[in-house]
Parts: sequence; structure tokens; C-alpha cells
Amino acid sequence: MSTVDDLSERLEFLQGTLEVLILRSLQMGPNHAYGISQFIERFSENEFLVDNGSLYPAMQRLVQRDWITSQWKTSPNSRRAKYYRLTPLGRKQLVAATSRWERFVEAMGRVLATRG
Amino acid sequence: MRELWSKLRRTLTGRRAVTEDLAEEIESNLALETEDNIAKGMRPDDARAASRRHFGNATLTRERAQDAWRFLSLETFLQDVRYGWRGLRKSPAYSLIIILTLALGIGANTAIFSVVNSVLLKPLPYPGSERLVELGESHAKAEGISVTWGNFRAWQKYNHSFEDMAARQMDHFTLTGRGEPLFTSAALVTNGFFRLVGTKPLLGRVFTEEEDRFGATRTAVLAHSFWLTKLGGDVNVLGTTLALNGQPYRVVGVLPPDLQFFPRSVDYYLPMGLFRRDSTPRTQHGSIRALARLKPGVTLAAARNDLDGIMRRLAKEDPGTENDHRAYGVFLSDTKTASIRPTLWLLMGAVGLILLIACSNVANLVLARSAARSREIAIRTAIGAGRKRLIRQVLTENLLVAGIGGALGLAIAYWSLRALLFLAPRGIPRLPEIGLDLRVLLFTAGLTIVTGLLVAFAPILTVGKIDLSSALNSGGRSGTDTRRERSFRNALVVAEITITLVLAFSSGLLLRSLIAAQNTNPGFVAERLLDLEVVLPASSYKNQQAVQNFYDRLLQGLSMLPGAKEVGAVNCPPSAGSCGDWWYSVLDGPIPAQSDVPLSLFNLADPQYFQTMGIPVREGRGFTTADRKGAPLVAVVNEVLARRWWPKESAVGHSIKVGGPYMPGPTFEIVGVVGNVTQEGLDSKPMPEIYRPFAQDASEGMAVMIRTSGDPKLLAPGVRRVVASLDGNLPIQSLRSFENVMGATLARRRFSTLLLGIFAGLALILSAVGVYGLLNYWVTAREEEIAIRMALGARRSTILSWAGMQASRLIVIGIVLGMAAGWGASHWLKSVVFGISARDPLMMIAAALVVILIAAITAAIPLSRATRVDAARKLQRA
Repeated sequence: MSTVDDLSERLEFLQGTLEVLILRSLQMGPNHAYGISQFIERFSENEFLVDNGSLYPAMQRLVQRDWITSQWKTSPNSRRAKYYRLTPLGRKQLVAATSRWERFVEAMGRVLATRG
Repeated sequence: MRELWSKLRRTLTGRRAVTEDLAEEIESNLALETEDNIAKGMRPDDARAASRRHFGNATLTRERAQDAWRFLSLETFLQDVRYGWRGLRKSPAYSLIIILTLALGIGANTAIFSVVNSVLLKPLPYPGSERLVELGESHAKAEGISVTWGNFRAWQKYNHSFEDMAARQMDHFTLTGRGEPLFTSAALVTNGFFRLVGTKPLLGRVFTEEEDRFGATRTAVLAHSFWLTKLGGDVNVLGTTLALNGQPYRVVGVLPPDLQFFPRSVDYYLPMGLFRRDSTPRTQHGSIRALARLKPGVTLAAARNDLDGIMRRLAKEDPGTENDHRAYGVFLSDTKTASIRPTLWLLMGAVGLILLIACSNVANLVLARSAARSREIAIRTAIGAGRKRLIRQVLTENLLVAGIGGALGLAIAYWSLRALLFLAPRGIPRLPEIGLDLRVLLFTAGLTIVTGLLVAFAPILTVGKIDLSSALNSGGRSGTDTRRERSFRNALVVAEITITLVLAFSSGLLLRSLIAAQNTNPGFVAERLLDLEVVLPASSYKNQQAVQNFYDRLLQGLSMLPGAKEVGAVNCPPSAGSCGDWWYSVLDGPIPAQSDVPLSLFNLADPQYFQTMGIPVREGRGFTTADRKGAPLVAVVNEVLARRWWPKESAVGHSIKVGGPYMPGPTFEIVGVVGNVTQEGLDSKPMPEIYRPFAQDASEGMAVMIRTSGDPKLLAPGVRRVVASLDGNLPIQSLRSFENVMGATLARRRFSTLLLGIFAGLALILSAVGVYGLLNYWVTAREEEIAIRMALGARRSTILSWAGMQASRLIVIGIVLGMAAGWGASHWLKSVVFGISARDPLMMIAAALVVILIAAITAAIPLSRATRVDAARKLQRA
């Protein structure tokens, strides 16, 4: 279980990455904020620590841009939670962001791998 | 955009909903995690604590998420506005003074700017008005004289520079057959004129090119006001005829009401081509002016070159005495406003200076208050307000004040413009169009912002420079009168005094000019003088003898009237303006080069004229009945002309030739010299003038001057009876008492003097308030020091001279700077000063004395307060 103490060993989010990760997590299906943070931490193999102080404002911004929408629903274990879902616009943004990221990572890798 | 919209929607539905929703969401997510922890085998208590720990600061998270929904900067701004508004309401007297001061400054600027805007800046209401030019002819001696019909036709035909060109000329006709005979004014125009000014007829049509030719059917286009008032607005007027000077003209159209091109009112438009044979000689001038629109992209200089080429070619093909004449062109917008321009910029400058005084007054007040508020600012700094945040607040507060002042200023401008229009002399072009249009509103908005920034400048300098501990410890008294602030405040007051002196000096110069102009001897006695003007229609007075006979009988009839002492006739009465100048030369003088032939006004007078007017005969004699047709040609000249050629000897006996040595013209013998008469305004320079006897060259349009023994107005009915008895079809062009005519020539000067006087007064009041405020503050800040000095034995007189030194230093510096600035500024005043030098030292001293006096009076109040400080009480409290 992650705690706040090992913050220094984790990776920090680059500008705008958290938003992409939120969109990506919702590609799997609607989820609540806790589920999204769990998803990000699990699939990053705990390299990313999701700070709620950043997560919640980021989600509000995505709602404002109409990239995601929210709805109160009852969870499988009959608990009320606010579920977020990708909008068509958000899906488009995710595709664009993903390809940008891939190019970015590839280019970074190429430069860093250069010898000499 | 989408973000903004959803924020707006949410703001409208309410922020509380967001808060509650977020809190619930966070709570539910915490519960989810707690359940997970329990599922992993934790005890419920531990599980809840662990999830809380993992979540972090829930309140902060909620607040930050909530902030995503806020218009942060807008809300800060609104908060500052609310705060500033509270501050204003807390000290109403202070706020009122600041707002009124700014409102006066901004209002005066708005009012004068809207005059400048509509008179100088707004494009004329004609299509392509920025390309409209006035054309005329020029030669070495004179620019912009009339163009001849022949030259105009050639320009129209051969130029490559203009889209359109039209000639125009004012004329008068007598309208008969519709009740009483009417003296009516016509504009003779070529048919392109209507296209150039972009007017479409309200009824019917304008005349065609075919109708604009010599020998064509006579047609007329009516002006709206004439149609409405004189013809009763009859819609069936088309096709009817007007009898003008006995000739029938068919009405083909009526123009809409808004065409205001000519300075005088026009009753109808007639085709100019009707009156001109194309064979008229190219040198025959007749007051024709041409209007033309440049093709886009063609410069005025290139167009003049084009026309000059035509003129050179004509000089070869059709040579004459005017081979050296060239084309003259000037933009229409410049000609319309040239005479009023210096005055308007002068007034604009004056109100700009007033706004500067208002700003520095307000800056001083704001500074004094921000010193008093230093404790409050220190507290805000201590609890974490950043310097940026404080500056923002100061800016917002001052912009708020300026904004209120600006709004009030608009109201002031609105009302003062009405007063201005009421007071303004007639003849300022486009003045009736004045209003607060978009450009004026933008100007006022910009001015308001600049004013707010100027005023905020001083307190911003001091923000963040406050020594926290001393400000907090001083118990809220104004203890932060730093040296820097003090000198800034002093500089502001010095600047106010400087500016006020400049304005007082300028306005004094204008006042002296006005007085000088009013006291100018017009050269004749204007009291109890009645002026009758008629123009005899050429159709019924076919030759000079007929004209001559009519005037002889008219003068005889008028002199029989009881109350008429003397009667004389003149062609161009005083103040009628220049009735035309012409070249002349002196026979026994050196022969001038062709470009140096002198010009003189020419006039006609009958034997009684000089006597009737009280114009003194200085040398020789006036005209007599012996100076008639067939007798030797004689002339009387004025003193300007006589002294120019014969400064030492008498002009009588010398001969002058009309037209100069290069042009045909008769020669006259000078038989007398008379005093100068102001032919234009009282504030214009006297010109050389040559009078010829009416009997030797009659004119249809004469002014008959009647010297009365009583009130001239009482004689008017009798005069009308005499005219009617001689010719029942003759309209009276004007019949007026002469007393006010000369004064009216100064209306514009009186108006600008009045305005500048008001502005100088405003400046005096504002800077008096400034001096008072500063010294009052100075005394308040030093009450303790004064008390100590008094306790140590200083006498009241010592205190007074100490405080007085402070005041007089500022005043003296301001006066010295103001004198220097006024001396420099007088350069721009030259064009509006009359009768005295723009660098009149007496005026400067007088203005300085007035400013010193006002400053001293206002300084006296705080100074006397300084001497009345109750030392014992003050020290006890401290």
C-alpha cells in the first residue's frame, strides 16, 4: 500500500500528463475518482503517486471542457459514488494526446540514446 | 471558450451546489477506500484512519477543486472594487472633492474634444470626402483666386487625376410672380456638383449635362428649406416655373434637407453652363470656385502638376495676360476649418493643462490619505498581502474613482456643450453637428483610464516601502511623511502653480487682444447709422444710367425723410469683408516686376459717403457732383496706400493705374486721401484701398448709409416706403442698424476669450485648492513639532514665518517656472493675439500677481491655523 512518505521516490507528473492519464483510465469504462487514482497507480506499477489535491481540480477542468461527464451511481457493492465517463470529445482528445505522447517518448528516447 | 461557458453556467446555478457535491464525492471515495482496506483485513477504525491519511488534506483538496470553478481574477477585482467603494463611502467629503475635481477636468476635456472632433476630425459628410479638393488659380502674387470658366472647362476635359469636377458660384436673383418680390440666393453649379456632394433629389431630378449648357432650357433645382418655407412644400412644384430676374426657370427637382455645403443659405441651384458661353475669354474671372474628387491613390501635388501641364499648354495655344497662372488646390476639409483651427487647439491645450492640475490635486489628496492609511496597509502586509496584490488594489481603487469622475464628467460635458452651442458665434463650420459620439466616448474612456493611472502613480511608489514596525507602532497617526513623498507632493503643487500661470497669462493676452480690438477705431462713426442694401436686377436696370438714376432718386428720397441727417452710398460698406481686390500701379513709381504688382481693395463711393460716415478727409478733397461721367477720372485713396508710396509728401496729384503695368486698365488722378476704414473685422489689419466715384462706374449693388438724428430703427418703415415708391418689384436685401455690426465681427474672438477665461479661472480655483490642501496637510503633520517649539518659547511670528517660508518657496518656484513656460508658450499664441505683443511683459507680471495673490489668500488659512496650535493641549495628548 502506498503512503505519502515515499513521495520522493515516485515520479512527478509532467505538465498535462495527469489529465491524459485520467482520460486513459476512463477508456476502460466509467469510474469514480478513487478508482481512477487506483488505476493510475496500479498500471504505472506504483511509479506515479496520485495526489488528490491535483486529481480533483484536474477532473473539474476536464468536466468544464466537456471531455468527461459525471453521474451519481451505485457501485457494485451498493455504495453511492460519482462516476465519470468519457465524452466523444474526450475520446478524440485522448487519441490525439496518445499519439503526441508516443512521439514525445520516442524522440526523447532517441536523443538520450545517442552515443558520442 | 467551452470552459468559460460551463464556468459561467455553474456560477449562475450557484456555488454552494459545487461545494456540497464535491464534499459528498470525497466522502464517498473515502468510504470506498475504507472498504478496500477492510477487505484487505484491517480493523474498521484503522481502515478509516488509513484511508484518511492516504487521501491527504480533504478540505484543501475540495477548495482547490472548487477554485477550478471560480473566476479568480474577476472576483479579486470585484472584491477590490467593493473595498474601494467602502473606502469612498467612509470619507464622503474626501471622495466628493476627488470625484468633482476629476469630473471637472474630464468634463472640460470631453466637451472641447467633442468640438474638435466634429469640427476638425470627423470626415465631411460627402462621399470620398478625404479626396475632395478645392481648386482655383494661383500666380506669383496671390494663391487660390477664382478659376475662369475657360480654364475650368479645359481642366474638366483634359485632366487625368480627378474622378469628378464641378464649378460653382454664388449669385442673387429677384423672384417675382409669387407674392412680394423676393431677393433670393442662387448657387450656380455644373451638374457634377450633386454627384460630388453625394445628394439625391427628394423630388424629381437634378439637371442633366444637356441642360447645363449655354442656350439650353432653363431649369432649377430647389433647396429644401426654400421649397418648404417659400413655396409651401408643394409636392406639385415640379414642372412649374420660377420667374428669376424676369426669366422663367422650370423646377425639375427638390433636394433633401441635409445638404449644407455653402456657408450661406442657398435657395435654389441653377445650371452654371446656362450663363457661360464656352467662348468667354480665358482671362475673364468671375468668382468661380471648383470642387473635385481625386482618383484614389493620386496625391494632391500630382493632380496640381497635371493641371499645371494643361495650363502651360493653354498658355501656348491661347496666350494672354495670364500665361503665368497655375492651378491651386487644397483639401476641402482644410479650407473649411483653417480659420478656427488655432483657436480650437489652443482651447484643447488649455483643458489638457486643467486636467493635469486636477490630476495633481487628486494625487496629492490620495497621497496624503495613503500616508494616513499606512497603518492599515501595514496590517494587510503583515497578514500576508503581497506587494503586487496591494498595487492592484491601489490601482483598482483609483480607477474606480476616476471612473466615477469620468461618468460625471460626461454629464458635465453634455450640459456644457449645450451652453457652448448657445454661446457660440455663428459661422463655425459644422458646430451644429456636435455631440457625444462613439469617438468622444472612447476618448473619454481612455482619458479616464489614463487619469486613474496618473493618480495611482504616486501611492504605488510608496506601497511596499512602508516600515512595518514604525507604522504599526505609531498608533495610526500619519507618521510616514518621508522626504521622498514630501518632495513629490511639493513638486505637484509647484507644477500646478506653473500651469495656472501659463493659463492666466494666455487668457490675459486674449482679453487684452479683445479689448484692443474693441477699442480699435473703425475709421468712421458707427452710432446712429442705418444701412440699406438693395441689388438692382439687370433685367430691369439695363444700363449704368438706369442704375445711376435709381440711386440718385433713392438718395434724394431718403434724405427727405424726417430724422435722416445725411445719406451716402458705397459699394462695399465697412465690415462687409473684402469685396474684391485687384492689381494697381503708381505711374510715377518704379515699375514692379510682373510678380510684384501690388494689390488694393477697390470701392465705389458717392459724394456724400465720407461726410455721412464721418470718415476724415486727410488730404485734398472727397468726391463732388462734378466727378461724373465724362469728367476726368479721379480716385480717393486711404492712408495705408498713400503712406506706402508717398510717406513724406502728399499723394494728391499723383496717378494710379488699375490693373498694374501688365494689364489694360484706366488711369486715375488721386484727388484726396481719407482715413483707413476696417473693411473686414475690427481685429484685421487695414488694407490699401482705392475709392472711385460712383458716378463714373455705377454698380447695381450699393449700400446706402443713412445717418439718423434718433434711433435708426425708427426710420426703417420710412425707408421701406421710399424704396417701394421707386420700384415696387425691388426687394430689400438688408436693412440694419450699424451699431452692432462692427461688434459682431469680433464674436468669435469674444467666444474664445470667454472660454479661455473660464478655463483660467477653473485652473486658479483648482490650484488654490491644491495649495490649501498641501499646506493644511503640512501643518497637521507638524502640529506636535509646532507645539514643542512654542513650548520652548517660539513666538507666533516665528512659527508663522517658518510655515510661510515653506509656502512662499513653492509659490516662488512655481511662478518663476510659469513665467518661463508662458514666455515659451507665447510663440503658439501669436496667431490669436491682436494689438499687443504675445510677449507682453506687463501682462506676464499682472498674471503672476493674480496667481500669487490667490495662492497667498488660500495659504493664509492653514498658516493662521499653525499659529493657533494649542501647545499645552497638544503636548498633553502626546
